[in-house]
Formats: sequence, C-alpha cells, structure tokens
Amino acid sequence: MIILGSNSEVAQSFVEKVLEAGGKYSTIFLFTSNKETTEKFAKHIDVKYFQHSEIIELDLMKEIDYTKFDDITSDLLFCATGYLGEGTEEGLYDNKNTEKIIDINYAKLVPVLNFFAEKMERQRSGNMIVLSSVAGDRGRQSNFIYGSAKAGLTAYLSGLRNYLFDKKVHVMTVKPGFMETKMTEGLPLNPKLTATPKQAAESIYKAYKSQKNVAYVLPIWSIIMLIIKNIPEFIFKKLKL
Amino acid sequence: MKPNFTQKVTNWGNFPVVEKEVKSEDSLQKIKDFVKSNNEIIARGNGRCYGDASLSEHIFSTKRLNKFISFDRLNGIIECESGVLLSDILEVVVPQGYFLYVTPGTKFISVGGAIASDVHGKNHHAEGCFSEYVIEFSLLNENGEVLTCSREENSEKFWSTIGGMGLTGIILSAKFKLKNIETAYIRQESIKAENLDEIFKLFEESESWTYNVAWIDCLQTGKNIGRSIMMRGEHAFKHQLPKKLQENPLRLKKKFSPTVPFYFPNFVLNNLTVKLFNLLYFNKQRSKEIKNYIDYETFFYPLDAVNDWNKIYGKTGFIQYQMVIPKEKGKEGMKRILETIAKSGNGSFLAVLKLFGKNNPEAYNSFPFEGYTLALDFKVNSKLKNLVEKLDAIVEEFGGRIYLTKDSMSKSSLTNYLQNVQNPKFVSLQHKRIINNN
Repeated sequence: MIILGSNSEVAQSFVEKVLEAGGKYSTIFLFTSNKETTEKFAKHIDVKYFQHSEIIELDLMKEIDYTKFDDITSDLLFCATGYLGEGTEEGLYDNKNTEKIIDINYAKLVPVLNFFAEKMERQRSGNMIVLSSVAGDRGRQSNFIYGSAKAGLTAYLSGLRNYLFDKKVHVMTVKPGFMETKMTEGLPLNPKLTATPKQAAESIYKAYKSQKNVAYVLPIWSIIMLIIKNIPEFIFKKLKL
Repeated sequence: MKPNFTQKVTNWGNFPVVEKEVKSEDSLQKIKDFVKSNNEIIARGNGRCYGDASLSEHIFSTKRLNKFISFDRLNGIIECESGVLLSDILEVVVPQGYFLYVTPGTKFISVGGAIASDVHGKNHHAEGCFSEYVIEFSLLNENGEVLTCSREENSEKFWSTIGGMGLTGIILSAKFKLKNIETAYIRQESIKAENLDEIFKLFEESESWTYNVAWIDCLQTGKNIGRSIMMRGEHAFKHQLPKKLQENPLRLKKKFSPTVPFYFPNFVLNNLTVKLFNLLYFNKQRSKEIKNYIDYETFFYPLDAVNDWNKIYGKTGFIQYQMVIPKEKGKEGMKRILETIAKSGNGSFLAVLKLFGKNNPEAYNSFPFEGYTLALDFKVNSKLKNLVEKLDAIVEEFGGRIYLTKDSMSKSSLTNYLQNVQNPKFVSLQHKRIINNN
C-alpha cells in the first residue's frame, strides 16, 4: 500500500481500517512531508497490527527525485495530500498563498500521481483512491482558489479513470465534505454535515470495496452538491456561499 | 472563517456544562506553545470523569495523542500516548495473552486519565491502583519542559502526578506493565446477600479472590437494608473453560452494542422505575449462588455494552457519588448512608460496594484507603444538593473522603486532599471550586 499525505488523519484511519479488515502488506510506504510525525504512526501500526512500513520524505513544494521511488510498487494507492490555505477574504491576492494552494492540490500533485499510475498501468492492476473535494464541484466565493485546484484534480481523476479502465486499474475520486480534522479544528462546521476521520475511512473503504468511481463520504453531500451544481448561474453569482 | 475554539463541553455526568476553549494537537511544539500562552489549563482525555475535574478555561484534549509507541511482548510492557484508551489497549494485548493489571468499570478512559485519577478496580484489595504498574510517563510541566517521571527519575513529580488530577501538567505518554492471562474469560461466582451483615461477611470471606465487588440495592430499608449481590472472579485458565471456548480462548466474538439514541425525558427515571429495576436485577438471579464463566467484557464492563448510557439520566445530567469510609467503621457508616438515601427518595440504581485494601503510602494523592467504598448515581434535580450535603456530613463524621474523579459538588473538606499540585498553569474548575470553598 502506498500512502501519499501520511499525516492526514483520514489517511491514517484508512490504513487502520484496511489492516483491521485483515489486509496484509509486506510494506506500507508512507509518503510524508513531515517525517517526525509520521514516525509515530509507523510505530503505532507496528504495535497494533504487526505491520511493517517505510517512511519516505515527499515535499510537493520541493524538487522531486523520482529515481528514489523506482522500486516502490503496490496494488493500492491512497492519496490524502491537500492544503486548504487562506480563504478568499484573507488570501485571494496573496500570490504565495494562491500558488501553494494550486501546487499542492493540483499542479505538483498530478505528476506524482502519474508516476504511480504508470506503474499500475504496467502491472495491469491496481486501485488509486484520491481525495478531492466537494469544493471542486463548483467555484464559490469563499474559497474558489482551493475549489478550482480541486476541480482540476477531479477532472484529472475522471480522465485518468477513463484512460486506465481497460488497463485494469481503477481510480476512485473521493469528495469528503466537512471533516473533523486538524485542518478544520475550530471552524463552525455543522455536525450533521461533518464526518470524523474514522467515519470517513469506513465510508471510503466501503466505496473502495464496491469499486465506486466517485464517492461522497456522507451521502447528504451528494444531494447538497447536486443542488449547488444546478443553481442557474445568474442566481448563483448573487449568492453568498 | 476564523477558527473559534470555544465550545460547549461536559463530562460523563452531563453536569456541569460549560463553554470553554478546547484545543487538541499532536505535535509537541504546538502543545508547548499552547501551554506557554495560556494559564488555567487542564488536560482532558475521553471525558469519562463525571463532574468538573477535567474542565477549565483552556482544555487540552488528548484525543490526538492516540498512538501506540511500543509493545514488549516478551515481558508484557506497553508504551503509548496518553490519549490512547484502555479499550484500544485491550484490543491489542488480549489476543497476545495480556490484560490490564488494574481497570475501572469502563474501558473507555484514556491512559492519561487513568494515571491522573490513579484509577482502581475490583482488585484493589489484592493488586492496588493503576499506578502500581506504571513504570514511567512523560509529563509536560508548567515551565514547558518534558520530564520523564518514574520512581527513580523526577520521583517527586511522579508521585504528585499520580492521582494528581492533571494539576501537575499534561501527561504525554506512559509505559506500564501488563498481566499475563491464559484466556479472555473470568471464572465468576455471584452470591446473593439478604442484608448488610451478610454482604460484609462475604467481603471478608472473599478477600482471597482477585476480583470482588457487590451490586447493592440502595432503596431497601429495615431488615433488608444492604440487600446485594456479591460478584467475585478470577481469570480463568484454559483447561477450566468449556470445550467450545477452549479453541480460541483469547478471542471474543464482536458483540452488538446498542446506543441510547437520545436524552430520556425526565420522568422516565423516578423512584418507582428505579425500584422496579433493582427488584428485577435482584430476582434475575434465582438461586443463592451461581458459578459460571463469562468473558472479560461482561465481567468488567457491563455498562460499556450500551453506548451513551448516560443519556438515560436526561439532559439535566447526573452525578456519581463515591466515598470511602475506614474499614473499622464501615458497616455503621454504610448503614447510615443507605438509610439516608432510602429516606431521600432519590433512588440510585447501580450502586456499587467494594472493600478497598491497604493504600500505597507513596501514592499520597490516590483516593483509595483501606475501607468500604460505595459508588452511587443520582439524577440532578432540586433535591440533590440537600442529599449530597447530608451524605457529606456522614462521610465526614466517619472520617471518609470523596473520589475526585466523580465529584462535582461535595464539601471541600472531603475533597481537599491533594498535595504538591499548586501552580497557576494547570488548574481545573473542580480545583478552583474546592480551593475557594475553604
């Protein structure tokens, strides 16, 4: 199993879910931009599940040396990298903020996903599970830089799924909606629309087992986004969303 | 959207409810920053203390300190972060033939909470408190330093933190010993006692059992006062088990656990329904004595089988009242307490009686000392304050004291027994309440 964004609480919960369900891997490759925190997780799964893992430093904001990843292959990739950054009010005209959001959520991530997609294409099997966002379903004034980067990612994943279909590789797009994580702590999120990392992992695992193409973590989000997507533009542009 | 960390927070008794800042971090630097920039901080694990012990102006939730660190399977020593729950530990260690030396009546408490409360269980008379098996822990103190505390290193802090209710700092991780078991089952005997004399005699007779505890019907009066069921147990050996269980003696089947879906309306729990419950419970066991083998979950954690059981007490919440009274005056004290409760009409179900063994004098902040302890649940209502005052007076008269982990309104002379915990950094609402009452 390959994990991109290993410090994500959803990614960690997903790994635990797979292991609890009896999944066994000779090694789990934990890609992370923060080795120190990931080390705690590596020890944790060793104690709890006898699971060996390897930590690999990957910072999307730095030059990536792909030769280091040559020997890494797996049937399952889970990608939870993401960067919320500042929203419109605080950060729209801050180019550093804007670039970082676009880079981590889309521009610098796609080549990495391509790298592993190619390996799976060659081995003619595999599952890629990638977290995108409901924010990518339609650009809204509150966080449309993030939203547009995720929209790009969603479109990329849709194309990749299409391309890899007859190569026996499955790509699943996950749109989590609100989540109770470090990234969102202290934000006034409606608890009915918010999933804990553990709930999210359960839901994603189920969707993965039934080979869904696009999965919302909480079903209610598919309805909310259906409505949001279908509001006519001349009305939508006046809304404060 | 600017983050706002103020939220409604309450512990297991749903009383009191306060609006305070709650923060949770997993990086040491950020935890240090939080400690540096605030005063009146208290750590909070899974919120399973009953009252205001883990509430303060700034609450540090250990929910993200939830990782295992190491497990020495040969010697039965485990190390984990302080937010790991006992239930997580059991899941890992029971299949390997290990168990917790000391566990309270719920497995949903954090390791940090277990140390800060120095929890006890049904085996206190035989095996003492949780701290007996703690090898070391790391503590973030009021100066923002991380100290390794053990009997040898920083031993002063080690002992003040044990039972110190989080007032000495934030426990970050801990290492402790586990007990060997052959099976996940308990050989249990349950024996009915008709009155206080019988149950006290049973406690004396059951001293050689590792685990013993009694459920007591506290609404009985007159000659029936103290009607109870003694439950005593030992970890079962493999050869003792019925053949069917011998195949996989360390694995329990996953059981369905129902959830209480909403707060019960206030009228549901009244004296009559509690009486009825107690009657049914007592008569469920037909014969005087039953011997059987039950899994550890049923023996240690019967209430954990129902998720959110605290909601049956309604939105106004409930308190748990637990005191200890010195052994020599135990019977007289208990009789007075039970009479007072029966008269008050504030019925408690799930009253639990136990005989504590000798205390460890080094663990000076620990609650238990040799004597009888009784734990009762009371719904919060207009009559409660009066009842607590009456009970407090009896406990004081008999030289007893109150368990801080359960306390939310007792008299401060019964709760002001912690030493070497004063500092402005780590303060709980409970501690402030106790100090200000003096």
